[in-house]
Order: sequence, then structure tokens, then C-alpha cells
Amino acid sequence: MGREMLGAGHTSPLGGEVGAGARGRRRARSPLPHGYRPFLLLAPLLVFLAAFYLAPLGQVALMSVTDPKPGLANFIRVLTDPFYRAVILNTFGTALLVTALCLALGYPLAYLIARIGGFAATALLTLVAMSFWTSFLVRTYAWMIILGNRGPIAQSLDALGWSPPPLLLFTRLASTIALANILLPIMVMAVYAVMRKIDPALTRAASGLGASPAAAFRFVYLPLSAPGIVSGSTIVFILCVGFYVTPVLIGSPREQMIAGVIGTNIDEFLAFGEASAMAVVLLLVTGAILAAYHRFLGLERLWG
Amino acid sequence: MSDHHSTEKGLFPVSRRGLLRAGLGASAFLAGPFIRRARAAETLYVNTWGGPWEVAAAKSLFPAFTKATGAEIRTVSPVSVAKLAAQIRTGAYEFDVTTLGAGDIVRANETGLIEEITPAISQKLGLWPDAVFQNGVASHAFSTIIAFRKDKYPNGGPQNWAEFWDTQKFAGPRSLQRYASRVLPLALAADGVPLDRLYPMDEERAFKSLERIKPSIRIWWTQGPQSQQLLRDAEVSAIGMWHSQATALADQGAPIEMVWNQAEIDRAYWVVAKGTPRAELAWQYIKAATSPEALAGFCKSANYGPLNPKAFDYLTPQEAAKTPTSPEHRKLAFDQDTLHPGVDLEQVSRRFDQWLGA
Repeated sequence: MGREMLGAGHTSPLGGEVGAGARGRRRARSPLPHGYRPFLLLAPLLVFLAAFYLAPLGQVALMSVTDPKPGLANFIRVLTDPFYRAVILNTFGTALLVTALCLALGYPLAYLIARIGGFAATALLTLVAMSFWTSFLVRTYAWMIILGNRGPIAQSLDALGWSPPPLLLFTRLASTIALANILLPIMVMAVYAVMRKIDPALTRAASGLGASPAAAFRFVYLPLSAPGIVSGSTIVFILCVGFYVTPVLIGSPREQMIAGVIGTNIDEFLAFGEASAMAVVLLLVTGAILAAYHRFLGLERLWG
Repeated sequence: MSDHHSTEKGLFPVSRRGLLRAGLGASAFLAGPFIRRARAAETLYVNTWGGPWEVAAAKSLFPAFTKATGAEIRTVSPVSVAKLAAQIRTGAYEFDVTTLGAGDIVRANETGLIEEITPAISQKLGLWPDAVFQNGVASHAFSTIIAFRKDKYPNGGPQNWAEFWDTQKFAGPRSLQRYASRVLPLALAADGVPLDRLYPMDEERAFKSLERIKPSIRIWWTQGPQSQQLLRDAEVSAIGMWHSQATALADQGAPIEMVWNQAEIDRAYWVVAKGTPRAELAWQYIKAATSPEALAGFCKSANYGPLNPKAFDYLTPQEAAKTPTSPEHRKLAFDQDTLHPGVDLEQVSRRFDQWLGA
């Protein structure tokens, strides 16, 4: 509270008036209150973003209500057509499943890394980072081989007597597994970033006060690591909802995801308006999730 | 500055500029000998299918053009009608020439995406009769045929589209192209419509027929190499694919058989992007790319059937017999009629896309 007041006094007009005349004169030379001056450093970035990000985005938004003719027809179609509804439901269903998988696999791993420390933790983190740095296209093609008809899984099942082995590629299962693999490192890093700040003395104190290891985890560690769970899940979910390549390459043709359908709309039907409307819907949903996150946790904590 | 530079050297064994130069050198090397850097006054941008297609074009078509004009060629891939449409909207031309199949060219021409072939241009190009279709210049023919794995059907696989649809007699997963205007006629043929009566198409009958094969279609392929991979890795037992891709696969020794019966012939046309500032050069390119010797060379490498009749002067009788338009293949096949399909292809494509996603 005290810090906030100090900050406000420094930059508010009231603060300026309280100061001596010398400060007032200096301010007259500069159009910006000098507390904002460091933000001038952001100008190149802002110009870049405006030209190469905001302007095209605005164009997409404009196209969604003007192509092929002005009106909300594109949005009405995207939100009411049973085909699009199925696509949207499938996208969010898959994203939820992938997020849950990432959490189930990533949380224990992050916990392990945070607890063991030392060389083993560094080695594990390096492995996670290496997986993160490998192109997701490469990882998708790797899954094509692993899940293929002649891949190790199908061959092992065949050897165990499941003949002919089940078809794994081009199913929702395939895209779910591959997406979980691709997004897992992000979950691990987000959760680990929070866990490494948790003071181990706290769980020790809980044990000292008679809590069982399970209770210490349940009532002390888990709540403390919850922000990591929320931010990891948010990032994974948002990335998954907009993922293009992997579902298109190895997913089921009958259960398409939004990004793939946007691609077909543009590539095959030149339906720029309808594709733009879907893109805007996707953007709004992402914005809504981030807004909810900000409301409850604060966006500045998203990256740990 | 020098300080900054030395830290950079500490991280990388070579300077950033050195890396950049090496990268440029490598990409110029990979792009092949037809791209000569920083010399020619003019450059033409050609939209290609990439991969082996572009290798064949770079071997035969591009040198003929460069020899005739002195201009160089840069390529953009894959072929995209969406990009063709987008660059007319924006006025920024990523490519000046592209190649379109019979289905896309009708739509592109009707929506004004391509330059018109005026009598003056036609005369300048010195084209053969029937060379022009919908303001495109005919290049080569290719077929959608049935290909199957011999190890999955040791006693012989499906020999026509009705048998391809018969998943009782020929069990096993299938694949077809995700392309309504090519798949609908096949569905009608599978349902017993004689090949000479496929057009005008009966849309409802076609979709009813498709409904029968749908559970067996594991994946609807979208890229030529993908169709090869599906059959090579036995992800599917039988597939409707381009004869050119199947021929290449058979040449690699894959245990597959190609069925020319009821082959569906399509044609590729060269077109000039509407409004491009390099239209003059683009027409010269098309002239070179459809000249008999260059086209014959291209078709030999990529397994196509040249549509310039004079190109056959440069093919041996054996090579000519392998083309989809050779007399013995021709009599088993049928032509697409994209000009009078009997349905609204645009609307059918949308219906098809939603149908396969449902």
C-alpha cells in the first residue's frame, strides 16, 4: 500500500505541483511526465507491432464483417451452423483433454525436478528444454512413424496377438497424444517456475506439526503450487485451441479443429470472410480466457 | 561495437555475417543451377508444386525459358489458388505464373483471377489447335487411377471403382483425394453410372454412394507425396491417386499395382496471374514451357502425358505408351467435364468438405 502511494505521488499531476518550481520547468520541456520517459524505449516495438500485427489483425476483423458483403452473416454462420459448432466443440474438447494430460504428466515431473535439485534436476530440465526446442513439425512426423501401421506400437500389439493391430494414425487419439507431447514442456516449465520458489521449510514445518506427507502435500504444497497449475494450463489450453499442423497431419478427418478449418476455408474456398470470422471468434475466446486469468491471478504472473 | 562483436564471436565460431553468407550460399546451391544470383535484369516468379515436380521443371522447362529470354526464374510453392486470389486483392505479386487443373481453372477464370489470352497473344505464342482452355494453355495430362498393395490383395485387387467401393470383397482401409470435383465422378462410376454418362452429375446419387465408402476412408489425402506415403507405408490397402505419383512409387520397387481401367483424366494448364506487371515475360515463359522438346523432357521426368502433340516427336514409342493419353490408356479412361459438371462445383465442394467432417 505504502509503495503504491509513493509511486502515485511521483507521477501524478498532484505530485508535480507539490514539487518545487524547478521540476515544473523541466516538465515543460518534455511533453511526457518524466516517469513515463523509459516507455519511449518501447516506441520501436510499438511501431513494429502496429504495422505488422495490429494492422493485419484489423484487416482480418474488417474482412469478417465485409466479405463477401457487409453484415454479420459470417458470424451467424460460424456460430450457428451445426458443422462449425461440431468443429468448435471438438476443438475445445481436445484442448481440455490435452491440458489435462499435460497436467497429469507434467506436474509430477516438475515436482520431481523441484525436489531433487542438483545435477539430476539440471539434466531433467535440459531434457525438457531439448524437447521444447525440437521443431513441432519434426515431432509430429515422429509421431506419424511411431503410431503408423508399421510403427513400434502397432507391431508390438500385433506380436502380442492383436491382429490386425488397431489403426492409430488419423484418429483423435493420435492428435491428442502428439499435442500433449508437444505442449508438455510448456506445462513443466510453468509449474516448475512456481515450485522452485516454494520454501521447502514450509512442508517440513507441516510435518513437524504432525501432518502426514500426504496431508503436507495436500494442504501446503498443492495450494502453493496452484498458480503454476493455472498458468501452465492456461498457456497449454490457448496454444492447443489454435494449433494447426499437428491435427491436420495426424488427426481424424472427421474431427477437425478450428485452425485447420480456417485453413481449408481460405485455401479451398477463398472464403476469406468466413475464415476471418472464425479467426476473430478464436481470438475473442483466447482474450476471454486471458481476461479471466488476469481477473483472478494477474497476467504478469502468467510466465512465472 | 567491437566489444559486441567479440561476444558474438564467443558464442558462435563464425560471425553473424559469415553465417548469413554461408546460409545464402547454401540456399542458392540447394535451389539449383537455374537460379543465378544477382545477374539477370529480369526475374519471373513461377508457382510450382515443389518436390519432384519442380525438379523436373527445373531440368527441362526453366532452362528453355532462360535460354530464350535471358531472364531467370524463382519459384514459389505449393500451387495455391488462394494466393492467386490474395495477390490480386493486395497488388503484391508473389508469383506471375501458376499451373491449374481443369477444376480450378474454370473457377479462377470465372472470378477473374487470370489474364485473358487474346487472339494477339495466342498468335504470338504460336499455339496448336485446342491448346487454350479457359484462358489457360494446356501443358500435360495426368490421371487419377486405382493403386493397391499386391501384398494385401495377393489374388488381385479392385479393378474398377465399383470394386474399389466393395469393401466386403476387398477388405482394407482406403484413401481418396480430398477434392470434390475429382471424387464425385468416381463415386458415380462406383455406383454403376456408365463412364460416358457421368456428366451432368447427379449430386444426390454421388453423395449416397460416397456414404458407403466413407467408413473405409482412413484419410482424405491432400498432397501428392502424402498419397505415396500412405500406400508405401501400407497405411491403406487401396487408394485413388495420380498415376504420376503411383508410377514413381512402382519405380522405387514398392509392391503395388496400378489399374488404368476407369482412369479419370485431368489436365494442367499454365495461366498468368491477372494484373501482374511481368505479364509479357510470363507469356514468354508459357511459350517456352509448352514448346515440344522442353515439355517432352518435363513429362518424361514427371511421368505426365504432354498435351502439345508435337512433343510426342521427342518421346520413344515405349515412353508414349506409358502416358495417360496413350491409345490403350485413353480407351479405358474418361475425361472430366469441369465446364459442364451439372452441379455448382463451388457449392458441392463446400458440401463435400462439411460432409467428410461430419
